[in-house]
Amino acid sequence: MTIVIQIIFALIAMLILGSALMMVLAKNVIHSALWLIASFFGVGALYLLLQAEFLAVVQVLVYVGAISILILFAIMLTRAADLAGETGRQWNNRWWLSLAVAGLLFGALIVPTVIGETWNVAPTEVAGAAAGQATGIAGAAELGRGFVYEYLLQFQVIGVLLLVALIGAIVIAYDETARRRRVLTLAEELELKKRQEAREAKEAKQSRKGKGEKPLPAPVPTDTLSKGNEGNEGNEGLVVR
Amino acid sequence: MEQIQIPPVDLAVVAPLITVVGWAIVLLLVDVFFVPAGQKRITGYLGIAGLVMAGAVAAPLWGSDSSTFGGMLVLDNFALALTWIFLLIGAISMVIALDYLPRQGIEQGEFYPLIMFAVSAMMLLGQSANLIVMFLGIELLSITLYILTGFAYPRLSSEEAAMKYLLLGAFAAGFFVYGIALIYGQTGTVQLFSTAPGQESLAEYLGRQTFAAVDLTLLLVGSGLVLVAFGFKVALVPFHMWTPDVYEGAPTPVTAFMSVGTKGAALAALLRLLDMALPSLQPIWLPVLATLAAVTMLLGNLGAIAQSNVKRMLAYSSIGHAGYLLLGVMTVSERGVQGFLFYLLAYSLTNLGAFAVLIALEQRGEAAWSLDDFAGLWQRQPFLALAMAVFMLSLAGVPPTAGFVGKFYVFMAAWEGGLGWLALVGMLTSAIAAFFYLRVIARMFMQEPVRDVQPQLFRGLTLGISIAAAGTLIFGILPTLLINVVQQTALAVGR
Amino acid sequence: MLTNYAFIGILFVVALSFPLLPLIMAFFLRPKRPTTIKQSTYECGLEAIGDVHVQFKVQYYLYAIAFVIFDVEVIFLYPWAVAFDQVGLFGFTAAAVFILMLFLGLLYEWKKGALEWI
Repeated sequence: MTIVIQIIFALIAMLILGSALMMVLAKNVIHSALWLIASFFGVGALYLLLQAEFLAVVQVLVYVGAISILILFAIMLTRAADLAGETGRQWNNRWWLSLAVAGLLFGALIVPTVIGETWNVAPTEVAGAAAGQATGIAGAAELGRGFVYEYLLQFQVIGVLLLVALIGAIVIAYDETARRRRVLTLAEELELKKRQEAREAKEAKQSRKGKGEKPLPAPVPTDTLSKGNEGNEGNEGLVVR
Repeated sequence: MEQIQIPPVDLAVVAPLITVVGWAIVLLLVDVFFVPAGQKRITGYLGIAGLVMAGAVAAPLWGSDSSTFGGMLVLDNFALALTWIFLLIGAISMVIALDYLPRQGIEQGEFYPLIMFAVSAMMLLGQSANLIVMFLGIELLSITLYILTGFAYPRLSSEEAAMKYLLLGAFAAGFFVYGIALIYGQTGTVQLFSTAPGQESLAEYLGRQTFAAVDLTLLLVGSGLVLVAFGFKVALVPFHMWTPDVYEGAPTPVTAFMSVGTKGAALAALLRLLDMALPSLQPIWLPVLATLAAVTMLLGNLGAIAQSNVKRMLAYSSIGHAGYLLLGVMTVSERGVQGFLFYLLAYSLTNLGAFAVLIALEQRGEAAWSLDDFAGLWQRQPFLALAMAVFMLSLAGVPPTAGFVGKFYVFMAAWEGGLGWLALVGMLTSAIAAFFYLRVIARMFMQEPVRDVQPQLFRGLTLGISIAAAGTLIFGILPTLLINVVQQTALAVGR
Repeated sequence: MLTNYAFIGILFVVALSFPLLPLIMAFFLRPKRPTTIKQSTYECGLEAIGDVHVQFKVQYYLYAIAFVIFDVEVIFLYPWAVAFDQVGLFGFTAAAVFILMLFLGLLYEWKKGALEWI
């Protein structure tokens, strides 16, 4: 059995490392993102192998599902022209320095964890996992109890943290003045059309009355149906983006 | 399975926190639903009211010595004093921002709730006795500050500052988590001290037996990583590179807020970690921290000499002041804790005031912060010049100001803690620092105006500067007022 | 417990081989006679003009961020839901407060107009 697990582990490790390497080496940045997703999947499988099923689900939901979407969105926000020049060599003249620093840091972080023989994992968790007590997605129920009992404070602070992140995204990225033409519903569009026709009829009447006088400029439609319609002057119906 | 019991939550411990967070959330919605654009200062008034209310809620708790959530959150006089300092910092920052935001054309109502969230994060850090809670507090504080740093959205320097801060801050957060993981790997706990006999905690683990340093590899490496993360947040010297750019680019009220609040909160958390959990390891971490403090004081103050931009000069000087604050943190003693508190309050008032003076000199789009712009300020705006003189003297640590008493206090703590050489370094660097602080005063009073700068004073700004200057002077002339309060503070250790 | 996942692994392999096998077989079996028309992107229809990689407005990112934030919220609520029968009224209240905070955030976002499709 252990040999099977080891083979599976080797396969997963190869998947993770290979995808990570391809991610760094890929010349197309979209391909890099896709390789990264593959690597995330591998890590999720690794969590399964370690019997941390909830973590595996989180890995797939958050990293594969959400973070990769964020990365792809971020790529979409860039200009293609910015990336066009960067399909060449991916390393600069001092790559050896970065390699040395990265290697040293990695060593400094990994060595104490490997040689430290004093790992003191809380005994109850190990016993619980060994006895296979957990059913379904292991640990989820325990975590749920923990969130509302032992870790109530952390749970609520995380709520505040997420709220602040939401506010931050809006404060930084959302520009009220940039809010432009909203897609109108059919009824709104008809209403707008009716008003425009009425206005044109009125203008025509005025210009007839004025006889040669210059017609007054058409009033800016202040009666637009939603407050999000700044910049709607002369809106000829639907603007679909 | 049986039903779980309702955890015994001591609401008194979290009352000030809940007040600030709850008010901030309500304020956010009130702002977006009811406060019309262009009148966002109403939100500001409400925010200040909320902070004052939280201070009042905290008042009857003085003298309590309790903890809740299994000891993760403590309420002692130290935490309460910090709470009040942070509330004061938040309130003054809001007061000086009231006119600043519309003048700069960056008025958005979210500013005030965000400041409140940041204040709540600082309070959380001041009360936390658990590494995970500390991490969450630091994250909440950092995320809020990234947003506030980039608040002056169309201005590129603000964007750049937010970007730099975010990248380096994320790096620091990674260090913190990895450090916690290693500490947990060794000890099986992230709690600083035990509240109940059977509870596992770092203090308990270390107190159980005497270890050789080799046995504690993971714990030491983990603590080192945590220290690096704290160093980033506080801007101790090897990790200070981001500070001048971020402080210069951020909107000035935000710079004032984070230059005092972040340092206070992060150092308070570090103080708890060192004093409550790791005092037995003092022989190991004391040389490291002492070196950090010495280098920080030296390089921060030396860097400030070369600056001709006063905002940048204050950014460098804030690095140096982090070193002085660290003096109070590392001497595990009552005197150190008290010195830290006194110095924090004095420094907060002074620095907030100094940045408020910079706001008066900041026109829309262009900032008049070079030393030349200060020339002859005495003739144009005597009030501003006098206030700035008080702040500069206090930062330099000249006697009739709070800054002097604060420095005296922390140097005393270092001396008594057997760190005489460090106290000497502190005095030496203070003498160096006096040079560039007094240079500003000399320009203001002894030179004719060089450029046509029109400083503008508004009610809020005047009020903020007055409070800061009055506090700086009162606590400098009558330090016993504050010392009597500060002497009642102690950590909830050894229970 | 791991053996439970063996079935998923087998299913994974079978599911993967279903689309892959025909493709691989087709690669070896099909005749190869390329012509210019066959090689064009669309055999009928217009040639694509310009780059597929166009720059999107930064506002789209707001949706992505909101998605991630609520995704993470779901992650935290999931264990609570699994343990729902054990946590009682207190646990329900705790989670309700958590949800309420993010709901108020959503309310704020809606009122601010950030949810409107631009």
